[in-house]
Amino acid sequence: MSTVPAFSVFSAVSELFVTAGVLYVIRRNWTRRRFALPIFLGVALFEALVNVLYMAHRASEAAAPGAAHAIAPGMRLAFALHGMLSLLAYLVFVLLGVFAWQDQRAGRFFFRDRPALTWTFLAVWTVSIVSGETLFVVRYLV
Amino acid sequence: MIPARARRLRAPLLLALALLLAVETVGGLTLFFARVAFGRSPGEALHVLGGALLTGVYAVYQAAHWRRVTPLRARLDYALGLLAAGSMALTLATGWLLALPWWRTRIVAHGAGPVPYAATESAVHNIGGMLVLTFALSHLGAVLFRDRAARGRTRADDEAPAGTPAGAE
Repeated sequence: MSTVPAFSVFSAVSELFVTAGVLYVIRRNWTRRRFALPIFLGVALFEALVNVLYMAHRASEAAAPGAAHAIAPGMRLAFALHGMLSLLAYLVFVLLGVFAWQDQRAGRFFFRDRPALTWTFLAVWTVSIVSGETLFVVRYLV
Repeated sequence: MIPARARRLRAPLLLALALLLAVETVGGLTLFFARVAFGRSPGEALHVLGGALLTGVYAVYQAAHWRRVTPLRARLDYALGLLAAGSMALTLATGWLLALPWWRTRIVAHGAGPVPYAATESAVHNIGGMLVLTFALSHLGAVLFRDRAARGRTRADDEAPAGTPAGAE
């Protein structure tokens, strides 16, 4: 078992809180309540400046010439897929959040009015989070 | 969409910017994935060249855009536009920093091996690119949403009986 970097533990745990924030924002919109703008901004900023940046940094380290032989090829592929999915999930979350906030100001509920889009986004987000947590466990705890 | 906006969205400079952004996005994502998964950098030279072109085209576009929309207003579309511009500046700046070791390795030393990119600059460049897409698309969405809302208000005003404010009962 490898030594677990402290920031990896922080990132793995905080990712669960971020997910709770994402679900809270969508749940409020779904139940036709006021858009939780402070929570949305907090989650969006924290995710970009801490978790996604950390993921990008780890991915860059994994791609460095010296690290090529230190990480198994399957793990590298999983890192790359998780990285791409994380970037996509974040981008879509911010976009949908902005649209939801604007719709709310016009008296509409973006997520409630688009169940297929909402559930698809939640599925993508879930895969992104679960893959990140799985990578953490496989890399450091197994 | 209002006619002036439709015309601006078809302007050659904006189309060139959109095309370069699309090329750089696809190239950047390909590089990110291939470097991490396989330790390869397909299309690296094209990405550097595209980034250099993008810097020039974006600088011209942003200067003209700012002249048109200034002064700054406390509105969502302005805030998102500022965030998009900041992300773009960050991405282009780190892109130029990353181009330095590429230039030394590929052009000066004619090396074919992996370029020693700094992990932090690379990470900031990757996330910056993603933020550009996020905020530029959100900015465009916010502007188009504002157009739609304004059109809705105009239609309501047109349909209201004379002397009755739209929405009044």
